[in-house]
Amino acid sequence: MPPTNVLSAQDEQEKLLDEALQTVKAQSFQMKRCLDKSKLMDGLKHASNMLSELRTSMLSPKSYYELYMAINDELHHLELYLVDEFEKGRRVADLYELIQYAGNIIPRLYLLITVGVVYIKCNEHSRKEILKDLVEMCRGVQHPLRGLFLRNYLLQSTKKNLPDVDLMEEVEEAVGKPADGDGSVNDSIDFILLNFSEMNKLWVRMQHQGHSRDREKREKERQELKILVGTNLVRLSQLDSINITKFRKVVLPGVLEQVVSCKDAIAQEYLMECIIQVFPDEFHLETLNGFLKACADVQHNVNVKNIIIGLIGRLAQFAERDPNGIPTDIQLFDIFSEKTAEIIQNRPEMPVHSIVALQVALVNLALRCYPTRLDYVDKVLETTVDVFSGINLEPLEYNSEVCKELIKLLKIPVDSYNNVSKLLELQHFAPLFDYCDLNSRKLISSYVITNALDNETFIEEHDKADAILRLILSLIVDEPNKGDVKTVEDPEDFLEEQNLVARFINLLHTEDNDNQYLILNTARKHLGLGGNRRIEFTLPVLVFEAYDLARRYSAQRDSDEKWEKKCQKIFQFCHQTISGLIKAELSELPLRLFLYGVLVASDVGFDKVETIAYEFLSQAFSLYEEEISDSKAQLAAINLIMSTIEKSRCFGEENHETLRTQCAVAASKLLKKPDQSRAVATCSHLFWSSKPSEMKGEELKDGKRVVECLKKSLRISSQCMDLSIQVQLFVEILNRYLYFYERGCEHININIIEQLVEKIREELPNLDASQDETDQINKHYQNTLDHMSNPDVNDSSYLQLLEKLNI
Amino acid sequence: MSLFGFGSPAEINIILNGADKRRQTEIKTEDGRKEKLYVYYDGETVSGRVSINLKPGKKLEHHGVKIEFGQIELYFDRGNHHEFTSLVKELSRPGELVSNVNYDFEFVQVEKPYETYSGTNVRLRYYLKVTVCKRITDITKDMDLAVHTLCQYPEMNNSIKMEVGIEDCLHIEFEYNKSKYHLKDVIIGKIYFLLVRIKIKHMELAIIKRETTGTGPNTFNENETIAKYEIMDGAPVRGESIPIRLFLSGYELTNYARY
Repeated sequence: MPPTNVLSAQDEQEKLLDEALQTVKAQSFQMKRCLDKSKLMDGLKHASNMLSELRTSMLSPKSYYELYMAINDELHHLELYLVDEFEKGRRVADLYELIQYAGNIIPRLYLLITVGVVYIKCNEHSRKEILKDLVEMCRGVQHPLRGLFLRNYLLQSTKKNLPDVDLMEEVEEAVGKPADGDGSVNDSIDFILLNFSEMNKLWVRMQHQGHSRDREKREKERQELKILVGTNLVRLSQLDSINITKFRKVVLPGVLEQVVSCKDAIAQEYLMECIIQVFPDEFHLETLNGFLKACADVQHNVNVKNIIIGLIGRLAQFAERDPNGIPTDIQLFDIFSEKTAEIIQNRPEMPVHSIVALQVALVNLALRCYPTRLDYVDKVLETTVDVFSGINLEPLEYNSEVCKELIKLLKIPVDSYNNVSKLLELQHFAPLFDYCDLNSRKLISSYVITNALDNETFIEEHDKADAILRLILSLIVDEPNKGDVKTVEDPEDFLEEQNLVARFINLLHTEDNDNQYLILNTARKHLGLGGNRRIEFTLPVLVFEAYDLARRYSAQRDSDEKWEKKCQKIFQFCHQTISGLIKAELSELPLRLFLYGVLVASDVGFDKVETIAYEFLSQAFSLYEEEISDSKAQLAAINLIMSTIEKSRCFGEENHETLRTQCAVAASKLLKKPDQSRAVATCSHLFWSSKPSEMKGEELKDGKRVVECLKKSLRISSQCMDLSIQVQLFVEILNRYLYFYERGCEHININIIEQLVEKIREELPNLDASQDETDQINKHYQNTLDHMSNPDVNDSSYLQLLEKLNI
Repeated sequence: MSLFGFGSPAEINIILNGADKRRQTEIKTEDGRKEKLYVYYDGETVSGRVSINLKPGKKLEHHGVKIEFGQIELYFDRGNHHEFTSLVKELSRPGELVSNVNYDFEFVQVEKPYETYSGTNVRLRYYLKVTVCKRITDITKDMDLAVHTLCQYPEMNNSIKMEVGIEDCLHIEFEYNKSKYHLKDVIIGKIYFLLVRIKIKHMELAIIKRETTGTGPNTFNENETIAKYEIMDGAPVRGESIPIRLFLSGYELTNYARY
């Protein structure tokens, strides 16, 4: 086959269209020439020839449309000419009859419409009768495409000539009542409704013609033509005389009757959408029942969901825009709720995600139109629960349509209220979580608490705390994944989640102390089950909250007699909680928490505080001894322990003695010499500035032990092999000597300072100058010397020393 | 009539009384031309004057002059024609005409029961024929008249309603508002589609003129489609109905034009 002879379908179309347009051009030219010469009958003959092009079956809807538009222009010319002639008084008798001799129906009806409109414009004949006749006669064209365009021409030609007066109103005025023949808006409604249903039938029929393998193509073509049918509805909406009563009694039932009875999904979907769009909101509000009833009656494969969602969206917008909102006599929510329930009931095949999507729309409606009606939202959620419990399905997979919709549904009240506390008042919010898989539960849980954090919503009652923690259970314990799907957890996500939970715990907060205690207990009950991975994040927050609570009791001790007992309980609570962390094989964290507890206890100062603080400290010590093995961590820990003991005021001398000695021993037992040296040096402070309870706020100032510590430290440092570290330690120890000297520690022999300075001077030049540390050491040393040169003490021996050392 | 170059020795004219006021109608002749004829009705008197004009200086010997009023049915197969009426009036006894002469004639209240008709196979004509009888060839002059009969509106004129179709393929019911229409009438009707299982492309009405000639076994029908009128484009589905409206006055339904 030579390819040159084969035209593609598109080329073929273009060629056909081109030919047709040529004929139209030629014939319309002839027509105009005849009209110019006042040869009307010849002109009509050419018009008829031109219109014969519209008889073709070869063109696609798109090409046919182009042809139609070209012819449309020419017919307009003819119409103008005729109107002009008629107005000049050159009436052609029986023109309406004459043109009906055209043998072919397509040209005949186009001409009939054209002349009919001329008659209407020139008041030649009863407008009402002509309209009726035209719309009736058009029945002769049963070919879908040609019929649709013909009727579109009818609709378009009569556009400005439809009667739009309500005769009932006019009668009252009596004057200026239009002639009967002119018709009223009722005639226009009849006219359009008839044309609409005929067009719709033609449009639907397209679906059933031709080969089934062309279905897709046909549906596409139908989509291209839908606007022709919809124009009828637009025209109806443009009739000003249609009031709500007429709309409810005549227009809408007429339209819906056709929509429902045509039993075609494409048509129903489009037309229902169209109705929503073209008619005003006020009308929809008054006719909800009828409209929703029709929604229930449409074909099962119609996406009713979208239609209802569209309507709800429009009305919700209206409610927000209109200052009066929804009229109180219209129970908008109830109607929608009831009708959607019916629709769902009647459509067992409706996909679950569509059902949920409908609930989403309902919740939106409730929230936007009735923001105060929590019960409405709850009702929707309850319906949703019923839906899920009814179908007994597997946990919804994270990525499934249903789950996406459900998550959307759950997020709406969260976003709308921005108040987690209010959310908890919804009885059926939490139960919906059960239908999701683990990932989705986590997602929505995170969403809820993020919202709480963003809005700083405090949870002030322990039962609410209980509720919300149950809600977000997926984040705080290892829940079994009911779907039995192995999910790999992203460690980063996990971290993020737990941080979120930890932050959220801070929101479990009330100013009422007793209640706060209950909340903390509730929280621990849940959080304690979180497993080793989680409690590391969550329990410390609880402990801090508890310490904070102890301080609050202490601050209000005057108004609460039992405050001491309560504090004691709090510390017991903390002890237990921290012990939980130890069981999770954590060491540094509980150690710190214990130490912080000691400080808090010391500050709060209730009876039995020493026992508790001692217990806490001893716990810290045992953690230090048994659990911490890394030397750096050990040093850090012992430093913390020592500084805690130094700061606390609650220990009596006896306990304090034990503790500080214990510290000294521990310090000297460190593995590395530099660590030993430093820890022992630090320990010296314990003997100086500690304030055992008996001292009544006075410092211990045990100079002898201080010097012992320093000497020991110095001795250890001289055992260091690394010169750089050794010098560094010397500088540090020098600092400590100076510190205690300046504080008036009499046991310090000034010669030691001298020896130390000289030793440093001697060693400094030997350091490797290329190393950064050397610089630092030099700097440190220089700063120390600077400090020495501006002594706080006015001591002659010290000044002599300075002189001697040349400072 | 002229033969061998000899002109006819005399010219015969028939002048009808009141011809200037009488209506005329066009009628199609055998060869398709149209001829204008005077219109008479049944029972009307046909009267007038026959004038015979001689060529100057000629005499005309004859065996008598007569005028006939006749009605004849002609079949186009020739040789088979039927004369219904033949009324003869003698205008002159045999003798010799030496000058122009006029004869008045009158057929009083003559019966004309049928209409003039010119169809495919048959033709019915009324004529006046003047004959000057001669020894060898008679001189004749014909004049055709048109006859219209007046008829009354039929007493019964019911609508037609009928269900037709092809079994299990197409059932339609049509309805016409009348069963008899006059020539300027308009046919109003409707077609209901009760069952459509075939692809219909379009539907048209045809106006068919049927001419039946002969009787009994010799009956012969001739159909002529006068007009085709598309009333539907495309295929309807069950339950549809389409309107019919056909104006008749624009079509040539008869052999003569209406006035």
